[in-house]
Amino acid sequence: MSIEKGKISSQQLFFLIAGFVEASALLIDFTVGITEQQTWMVILAGLIITTPFVLSYVALAKSFPGMNLVQINDMVYGRFLGKVISLYYIFFFSMTLSFNIRDVGELYITFLMQDTPFIFFLIVFTATCAYAVTKGIEVLARISHLILVTGFFAITSTFILLIDQMDFSNFLPFFELPLIRIFQGIHIVSSIPFGETVVFLMIMGCMNKTEHAVKNTFFGLLIGALSLLFVAVRNTAVLGRTQTIWTSTSFQSIRLINIGTVLTRMDFVIGIAQTILIFFKCSIFLYVLVVAVSQLFGLKSYVPLVLPLAAIEVIIAATVFQSPVDHATITQNAGIIYSVPLVFVFPPLALLIAKIRGLPKVERGKGT
Amino acid sequence: MGKKTNFLIMKLILCFFMLFVLSGCLGEREINDLEIVIGMGVDKDESPDNILLTAQVVKEGIAGKSSGGGGGGEDRPFWNVSSKGMTIFEAVRQMTHKTGNRLFISHNQVVIFGNDLAKEGLQKYIDFFLRAHEMRPTAFILVAEDKASAVMDAKPETEKLPAINIGKLVKTYGFTSHFYKVNMKDFASCLMSPTTAPMAPLVSVIENGEDKEIYVSGMAVFKKGKMVGKLNEDEVRGLLWVLGEVKSGVIIVPTPNEQGKAVLEIVKVKSKVTPEIKDGKIMMNIKIKEDSSLSEQTTTENLATIEAFEKIQEATAEVIKQEIMKAFDKSRELNADIFGFGEMLHKKYHKEWKNLEDNWDVIYPTIELNIDVESKIIKTDLLKKPAAPNEGKK
Repeated sequence: MSIEKGKISSQQLFFLIAGFVEASALLIDFTVGITEQQTWMVILAGLIITTPFVLSYVALAKSFPGMNLVQINDMVYGRFLGKVISLYYIFFFSMTLSFNIRDVGELYITFLMQDTPFIFFLIVFTATCAYAVTKGIEVLARISHLILVTGFFAITSTFILLIDQMDFSNFLPFFELPLIRIFQGIHIVSSIPFGETVVFLMIMGCMNKTEHAVKNTFFGLLIGALSLLFVAVRNTAVLGRTQTIWTSTSFQSIRLINIGTVLTRMDFVIGIAQTILIFFKCSIFLYVLVVAVSQLFGLKSYVPLVLPLAAIEVIIAATVFQSPVDHATITQNAGIIYSVPLVFVFPPLALLIAKIRGLPKVERGKGT
Repeated sequence: MGKKTNFLIMKLILCFFMLFVLSGCLGEREINDLEIVIGMGVDKDESPDNILLTAQVVKEGIAGKSSGGGGGGEDRPFWNVSSKGMTIFEAVRQMTHKTGNRLFISHNQVVIFGNDLAKEGLQKYIDFFLRAHEMRPTAFILVAEDKASAVMDAKPETEKLPAINIGKLVKTYGFTSHFYKVNMKDFASCLMSPTTAPMAPLVSVIENGEDKEIYVSGMAVFKKGKMVGKLNEDEVRGLLWVLGEVKSGVIIVPTPNEQGKAVLEIVKVKSKVTPEIKDGKIMMNIKIKEDSSLSEQTTTENLATIEAFEKIQEATAEVIKQEIMKAFDKSRELNADIFGFGEMLHKKYHKEWKNLEDNWDVIYPTIELNIDVESKIIKTDLLKKPAAPNEGKK
């Protein structure tokens, strides 16, 4: 059976997914440069496109109760092909995790602490994530609602503080950009914040009851998407045409907060909120990576793998890119391509194959 | 139990000692080591290709800071350090030769560009101010009538620091609406627009014997990053009527019997601009609603009557129209789209815009304005009649 003994409720799944998607709030910068004032539409379109796929993950998890993605792959695609696909997933988890860890480091050395060595942030941050992961998924699930609320508080409060500087004519003209750029934007949004929820296929197996799983997943995705939408609307309304030039649009719009010359320099709000949110996201990713690797090799417990894998992730994060420039270029162009089969093809295909072969019933009888 | 408590105590002690080890911040900068910059001025240097950067550094504790070296009078609470360089950042770093420390520009309030530099083009100098992480996008940008360093030298009377004083002047533009504040982000936004002309307040020094006074005299108009002209005070207000940015101000109109003047204070302004393309002609429909109060009159005639109000309101509307036309004529003369009409057209007619954009310089002077002003006097302050002999008794 599955390697994780902890159980989460389906309500916790809602908070996990919402917080996970919300944590990508800064990552919409990858889209802003391409889709400019139409970013908000792209997020909505991305949500609509991704929803059926995410729901297919739930359906898959429901038809294989108590199993994680690696086990499902083994069962659906057979021993060999299943292992290959699982390896592909592990590659995806580990790369995405290292990119996210790198995001934190870049956030700190660009905006908050310029003189501190980059690697220092990566190590401290990943060590914290590793600590959280050794405590298991239950602990992460238990803190998930706090994380969601923190993120939402930061987003709404900065939104309100910036209302006087918003110019909603910045959203006009509505349909100006060439369609190809809109498609690229939709692709980025549906792969990065929304499509990454494929990691929950590793977690959904831990649910004690799957009754409301579909509803909770959908609303989790919706709440996460709403917070991204809030961020996109705030940035476009405040920064207008200039939103494409800044390294981080969110930071720049928060730097504009100036209420009575007292409420200024609110960068720290987004610094704190973003650190907490990305911590949550990276913890989930690290957990998923560790569990997937241990499951692949048939270990009894995943705890011994946490530290070595975390160390590998730090090294990847430190060396994978030279600067935010190639980070953005590779994510915008290559990153979203290699994740396509994992996010949009394999899970629905697995569901289909399982339906055709009538898999869960037969296999459940055998049991392991 | 005992073992567990011991372990807990050990952990606590360990955590306590960690406090000392982990508190060390890399890149820490103590307050007395900071060179806090509150304003920066950029001028052209005598040698070509070089710029002269002047940074206004606060002296914390005037008495204790005599070691500055050649920064002017002893009692001045600020120090204007200058340095030369090919670019802004080079000059900023060059400055450490004089200050002994990096400049700390988080508190920078204003950036002033000298006239020569503005005419040559600000595009290449603005980048540093947007890119530097300590720089705030809310810092104001100004253009000096002459040298920026001279503006930063003039010591104000009530404020201690010139740069703070200039910041204050710019922030309180609303009392007359004769200029308006432009921060780094706004300026960058206009620079990025293919049509809208960026603007910045013009600041000059008036020499009054020994004293020097700072005066904001209008706005500098840029085109493609280069300063091409300036708007005087009335023209700026004409522009602000259209943008809906008039906060307050004084309008003087003749009284109905033409013997004196009625002075109105602007209370509230709303404006709406709707672009229209008709048979290839571009028309801007400008609708302005203005509320004012009767703040002063110079005749004995009672102006607080419905008939008098109507006449004054008409005259006010006429004044507003003329101001707008003055601004528009000036912008046509400079061929600089200060109103942002291009952007408005772009937002409403984005399909037609593709053809208009390339020829915008040709099209802009042919735009027609259709101005509709609705002026209302909504109060007369403390008097309902002037202090004059009552006419009705005769």
